[in-house]
Amino acid sequence: MDVEELVRLLYEDIPRRSSELTHIWAVFWANFKIFLSYRSWVITETLSTVASIAMYSFMGLQVAPDKLSGIGYGDVDWLAFALIGVATANYLWMCISRISHSMLNEIREGTLEYIVSTSIRMRSYIIGQSIRGFLVSGYFMAGVILVGLFLLKVPLVVTFETILSFLMIITLMVGSYVGIGVMIAGIILVYKRGDPLTFLFASITEFLGGVLFPIGYLRSYPLLWSLAWLMPYTYALDAARYILLVGGSLTSPSILNDIIILVVYTFITIPIGFKVFKWGYNRIRAEGTTATY
Amino acid sequence: MKDEQIIQLLSEKIFLRKTSTPRMVASFVIRDFKVWWSYKLWTSLDVAGTVFSVVTYYLFSLITTSQQVQEAGYSVGGYFTFALIGIAFQRYVSFAVEGINDSIRDEQWNGTIETILSAATDFKTFLLGEVCFSFIISTAFLIISMLVGILLGASFNITLLSIPSAILMSFLLISSHMAVGVLSTGIIMKTKEGNPLTWAFSWITQLISGVFYPLNLLPWYLGWLGRLFPLTYTLDGIRLCLQSGQTLFSPAVISDVASLIIFTLAATPIALFVFKKGYNAARRDGSLGQY
Amino acid sequence: MKYAVEAFNLTKAFKGEIDNGERGVVKAVDQVNLKVREGELFGLLGPNGAGKTTLIKILCTIILPSEGTAKVNGYDVLEESEKVRSSFGWFHGETGGRSLYWRLSAEDNLRFYAYLQNVPRDVAEKRIDAFLEFFDLMKDRRKLVKDYSTGMKVKVMLARALLHNPPILFMDEPTIGLDTLSSVETRRLLKTLNTELGKTIIFTSHNMFEVEQLCERVAIMRSGKIIIDSSITTLKDTLRDIRAIEVDIRDSKNPDEIIQRLSQMPMVIKILEIRNRADNLFVRLQVEDEYEAIPQITERLHSFGTKIQSIRQVEPTFEDIFVKLTGKE
Repeated sequence: MDVEELVRLLYEDIPRRSSELTHIWAVFWANFKIFLSYRSWVITETLSTVASIAMYSFMGLQVAPDKLSGIGYGDVDWLAFALIGVATANYLWMCISRISHSMLNEIREGTLEYIVSTSIRMRSYIIGQSIRGFLVSGYFMAGVILVGLFLLKVPLVVTFETILSFLMIITLMVGSYVGIGVMIAGIILVYKRGDPLTFLFASITEFLGGVLFPIGYLRSYPLLWSLAWLMPYTYALDAARYILLVGGSLTSPSILNDIIILVVYTFITIPIGFKVFKWGYNRIRAEGTTATY
Repeated sequence: MKDEQIIQLLSEKIFLRKTSTPRMVASFVIRDFKVWWSYKLWTSLDVAGTVFSVVTYYLFSLITTSQQVQEAGYSVGGYFTFALIGIAFQRYVSFAVEGINDSIRDEQWNGTIETILSAATDFKTFLLGEVCFSFIISTAFLIISMLVGILLGASFNITLLSIPSAILMSFLLISSHMAVGVLSTGIIMKTKEGNPLTWAFSWITQLISGVFYPLNLLPWYLGWLGRLFPLTYTLDGIRLCLQSGQTLFSPAVISDVASLIIFTLAATPIALFVFKKGYNAARRDGSLGQY
Repeated sequence: MKYAVEAFNLTKAFKGEIDNGERGVVKAVDQVNLKVREGELFGLLGPNGAGKTTLIKILCTIILPSEGTAKVNGYDVLEESEKVRSSFGWFHGETGGRSLYWRLSAEDNLRFYAYLQNVPRDVAEKRIDAFLEFFDLMKDRRKLVKDYSTGMKVKVMLARALLHNPPILFMDEPTIGLDTLSSVETRRLLKTLNTELGKTIIFTSHNMFEVEQLCERVAIMRSGKIIIDSSITTLKDTLRDIRAIEVDIRDSKNPDEIIQRLSQMPMVIKILEIRNRADNLFVRLQVEDEYEAIPQITERLHSFGTKIQSIRQVEPTFEDIFVKLTGKE
């Protein structure tokens, strides 16, 4: 093909129509393909997930059963209790850390800078990245629960209804964290480091959310107790445990209460998150550090 | 400066002397420290994360019994002290190993690795420099974890000799894990995919080195596998020293020490060999500066 | 008259290190006023660090100016950045191919960016095929970009900048990393896009020869300021004035005599520089017509038995041009 032929092709001026859906899909699809190219990461991550479940099952051998009764989920097996905590907390952490990880890569490789110069809105970029994060992390969450159910025979209430309810709660949990995730992304844009932030996020969630121990033990520390109930995760975990441990339905008052709070969080944090992101975005444009190659 | 002046400057005969290895290592450590110090906010986040994970296991210990821990021979402190030692030292090594990997990857990313390796530094010095810094930082984190644990009421059974014994065990831990760090770095240089490997390593050690539970709770094959990892011996030795007041002179501790020494002696040459292979492979592919 | 690009007192100050480690404000772009007509092929010249890339990045809405503003395609870069972004294609040669997704193939990269630029699917496929064929990448189209050579990456980046057929092209060092043949082809493509489709092209380079061949108007930047903004004919005249000839002579037993003989030649205007070290003589001269001068000087020196190691025409440095055009040192 020579120059003239190529230029002739560009003669026809096709109208370009901006479609946010196409943008979101393009970002999702490109990042998903990149994710698949890290095959060894997927494999080792899967293995380490399995190893972590095995670890919790051994830890459970040291738990005194009498200290777990009376926490509101009936006569509960610690491993079942912890498994739901671990599955949801890991899911949340992974969503957020994956997004921050790939954004950092994009800054370092200069692709983010180029994306900023195109017609895509930052909103679509974040949504596309997040969908990828949710799906990939969903694979690991499903893995944790399936290994627990089938290999370790953990007693969970599994019916069509509880699965649907559980997925519903997970969706609400994700909704309530979108704003926080976007906020973290905005901070990472400016400071160009993600690990400590996501690590802190993970350890706070694990600690205050009551992943490994009943949150009731925090009651003797009023400050921690109230901080714990400030995190949307605590509500999501409580609802998820009610559903999978006791077989509670979405319409029961305590779960309904959790759902309302998650929805409220969603509406409060999303605008704040995007504000912070916009701050970060404008700040790196002012500093000229959209790329650090 | 005129070119004549530069030529004159360069034609001056200087007696070239090799910079001594400790000086070289020190210059690496100082450089890394400066880079690290420039991220103060992140350091404080790291500290906060460490504190939270200790507190999490304190609260978990409230629902456990100490029966299994005592049966395993760690008489004082119960589950919390047991887990505290486990977490603190496990994080110590995984931090250090990850730290080495990260610094190599950063160098690759910034494109500085090619410059450093071409600046007449032999690769052992280079590695030693990278490794030393990670261990210094991880030691600080170890001390923080232990202090938080003590504040939360971890109790110990120690004698005058058991503390130095525990410190000696820590040094053995370092030397054995240097090999692990170097080995994984060699693999990263070639594959450019390091983190999964160290991650898997840190999960496997958590699973079978007795970080969160005594080894006798594991099925026999996992317990046997656990004996291949140096962390297992270190944790056992340190717990015997700090929880049961034993010292370097008690037979159980001596056997731990001997195992660690054997591991280090066997693993170091293998690690250096793998690193050199990876480094040469990366140079052959011309992908040293790539990530 | 419609302008494709207008800049009004555009200034960008970065906090950073100035001399000897002190922190201060560095003005990467300093009070730049610029107007580029629609359909113009405009060259932006300058040494490294002159502020060309920062200026382009401000026009691309990637960097926010500290003062002043600019319009691209009639839209303000601060107020209407979304409209600005659909008006241009950007190529940034300095990245050395980093701004692509290395873990995607060339065609996946192009598809991704085509969608971000709102190119309809079928049109995108047609254009991707055409560009890959033009740049001779057809057989490697499914290979991951990380396995490409720098030149191949540059080609993918060029295709990316042109895929959505924008009216304005910011070409920041577009021939960096390309082999000679590919750069000739690329320059021809840009020229044709300009003449046939009326694209406005802003072309930056530190290679004067390239700009001279391609552009109609040239601005030269130094330390963030546009020092010279002139038509290419003026620049060519200036260049002709200050182009020099350099001669290396080996085993020069009597340098003074050689220099005297050279200066006696009618076409030699001035001897600019003489260096003499260890029997090697280096002379830089300004001549009337460099094409005539080379054979004449060679012949003359030869007739005295002087051994010429090399003789060549050299491009003037930016400093030379600044001095010539502004009359300031």
